Amino acid sequence: MPSSVDAAAPPLAGLSLLVRVKLRALCNRVSSAIAEAPVRFFATALCMALVWLGLYFLFRAIFIYLKQSPLEAAVAIPMVFSFFFVALLAMLTISNAILAYVSLFLGSEASYLLTAPVSPRAYVSLKYLETLVFSSWSLVLLGLPLMLAMAEISNEPWFYYPLFLAFFLGFVPIPGALGLVIAWATARFLNRALRRRLTLAAGVVGTFCVVLFVQSVQVNEQEPNLWLNEVLFRLNFIQSAVLPSAWVSRGVQHALQNNIDDALGYLMVTIANALFLSMIAVEFVSARLPVAFDRAASLRGGDARPTRSPAGGPAGWVFFYLPLRMRLIAVKDLRTFCRDPLQWTQLVILFGLMGLYLVNVPRFSNSLAPLEGWGMIIPYLNFGAISFILATFTSRFVFPLVSLEGHQMWLIGMVPLTPRRLVAAKFAFAMTVSVSVAVSTTVLAAIMLKMPLGWAVMQISVMTAVCAGLCGLAVGIGARLPMFGERNAARIANGLGGTVNLIASVTLVLAMLGGMGAIGVRNVHRGFDGPVDGVSLLIASLVACGGLTAGGVAMLLGARHLRRLEI
Amino acid sequence: MQAAIDIQGVHKQYGEKVAVADLTLTVAPGELFAFLGPNGAGKTTTIKMICGLLHPQRGTVRVCGHVMGVNGLAAKARIAYVPDQPFLYDKLTGREFLHFVAAMYRVDSAARDRLIADFLARLDMHDFLDKLTQSYSHGMKQKLVLAAALLHDPDVLVIDEPMVGLDPRTVRMVKDLFRERTRAGRTVFMSTHTLEIAEAVADRIGIIHHGRLVALGNLAELRARAATQHTLEDIFLQLTNPLAGDADHAVER
Repeated sequence: MPSSVDAAAPPLAGLSLLVRVKLRALCNRVSSAIAEAPVRFFATALCMALVWLGLYFLFRAIFIYLKQSPLEAAVAIPMVFSFFFVALLAMLTISNAILAYVSLFLGSEASYLLTAPVSPRAYVSLKYLETLVFSSWSLVLLGLPLMLAMAEISNEPWFYYPLFLAFFLGFVPIPGALGLVIAWATARFLNRALRRRLTLAAGVVGTFCVVLFVQSVQVNEQEPNLWLNEVLFRLNFIQSAVLPSAWVSRGVQHALQNNIDDALGYLMVTIANALFLSMIAVEFVSARLPVAFDRAASLRGGDARPTRSPAGGPAGWVFFYLPLRMRLIAVKDLRTFCRDPLQWTQLVILFGLMGLYLVNVPRFSNSLAPLEGWGMIIPYLNFGAISFILATFTSRFVFPLVSLEGHQMWLIGMVPLTPRRLVAAKFAFAMTVSVSVAVSTTVLAAIMLKMPLGWAVMQISVMTAVCAGLCGLAVGIGARLPMFGERNAARIANGLGGTVNLIASVTLVLAMLGGMGAIGVRNVHRGFDGPVDGVSLLIASLVACGGLTAGGVAMLLGARHLRRLEI
Repeated sequence: MQAAIDIQGVHKQYGEKVAVADLTLTVAPGELFAFLGPNGAGKTTTIKMICGLLHPQRGTVRVCGHVMGVNGLAAKARIAYVPDQPFLYDKLTGREFLHFVAAMYRVDSAARDRLIADFLARLDMHDFLDKLTQSYSHGMKQKLVLAAALLHDPDVLVIDEPMVGLDPRTVRMVKDLFRERTRAGRTVFMSTHTLEIAEAVADRIGIIHHGRLVALGNLAELRARAATQHTLEDIFLQLTNPLAGDADHAVER
């Protein structure tokens, strides 16, 4: 051994050293965030606090409503808890599996630590702890407001709070351990093609099951009790005693009923199982890590793809109206989008959930019918939800498009294409994706609500203007405040320009929602009866013009900045 | 004498593609070995097998007598690997990173501080060592990872493209550092596309092509094999000519 190395000590870096360096990096991250961008840091903290408070008041209102009827509360509150924890179990297992796979097998840190004398157990334990911390967002964001709201309306004793926290901390490692083993199995046994097929099959089967379940519990207006019984019977499996979510759910309910002994009993069961599963999972994966890492690294190359004409194929047809050079850029961006699951899955999930809700809108109609003005409120809320989802997409994925071209400077600086055309090509791509999801969701909403043609056309037109406004803002501000040195799209989106774009996008959506709200208020009594009146049409036109103008001005400013830019 | 790196009959393939075919290669202590080859020839796969990141489907890799995959941790304690895209924790300062590496390899604090002071002077890292590594240029990162790799005085240094991004003064200094290490009995296994560097500093050169070692020896032996008195570049181009058959070039063992 070299002279400077302590020969008496075993040449292994332990978990404590790895955790210490991670904590050091975290401290540096926080202090540099406060020092370099204090406004952004505190604005983010404020937004999180507002979201948290919003959730707290939402849960509080739900529990107060449920408490009004003791019978409903006795049935519904345990169901709410069971649903919550079983959903948490599923979500955390999936998110832990993804996080564990990425941190164990991908990235340069994995390669670095595995060439150092770090024991596989320490390495796997570190990654396991990291995934647990990352996935515990649900505790902070959802769990705390839910439990605090419950405790407040039930006037719970003091010990409820630490007990509830202990339940959460005891629960989180269970899906974490399952996720760790799934990540290992994915690396060990599934190649890229098989993984893709399995994901697709799981998506299809999952959607089919949800649709089948929703179809099977049709609302029975004549016999609501029968219907409720049937729903509860079908959902009874989520309270099964073999599910960890049921232990936590029952323990929390015992605590709520001041039944401390039973609550502690369930807590012990949860913690014992969590520790046991964690130990088994870490030992199992540690012992088999090298082979799984080898498999994952060996299959990382990617599949060969058929060569298509740079501006041809289906992607080229979509942009048939653009001149060749602009079409080339738009096609490149569309292909990149389609080949990046991070981008399209987010859109599919958000708009898929929206679509699922819209398909079920007619079921709520009968219940809401007695409420005056519901016919105007529901489309308005739909419009708002679609617009905000779209704003999230454009801020995260469209805004960084121009900055990411900084690494191919020839595209911005050398290719004989004016900045205005470059910006327009980016806009064409963003608009194509946005319109195809947002407008089709708006059309679905109009069909489900049996909206008259005139009103539907008005909504669709304003939604198209929302798309144009948001895409224009994202592309324009992306060109005006680019971050050319950065390759990471998430960092670009979180930078100064990204923050400005997010604020501008949210402001635009709120302004347009204000206009659409005014139309709703005007027509709250008559609903969709009759044609669109002149004033509503005028307001809708002004709203649409506002969106188009905001997007257009941003793009002009962005293009002008690019023209003057020295890269 | 025990070999620093001993690769025996190693075979590795990704699906249908053979990355390394029956590779046998021995590198002695105190030797500076340059590993050359065209893109996709199998250099990085070989390096990753030496470092224990990938496992051969056949054959064995030994580092300082330890079989990688059987006694991998003992081997890893005596090896250092500097990849072409070095990894750094971007929210640590350079000094914090060096302290972390030293702790990982159990270098005592007195030796650590002495070595850091030495690297600080030799690699001219004063201006940036206490800044977060996220602000470093490629050259600064290269200097830092090189210092980190040498902190525990490894018996074997495996380095991929060591000179990319370094200024001429640092290139010269790194060459001197490699020579110092080999004089002290340590081994340097270097993969590079910069043939002039290999020609200038390497004791022996291996050329891999399509996963097979097509040439092995010092510069004079390679010239003899290629029947030319020209530069390493000419030899390399001749031996890796895509129009020539691979089997004819496979090195005889």
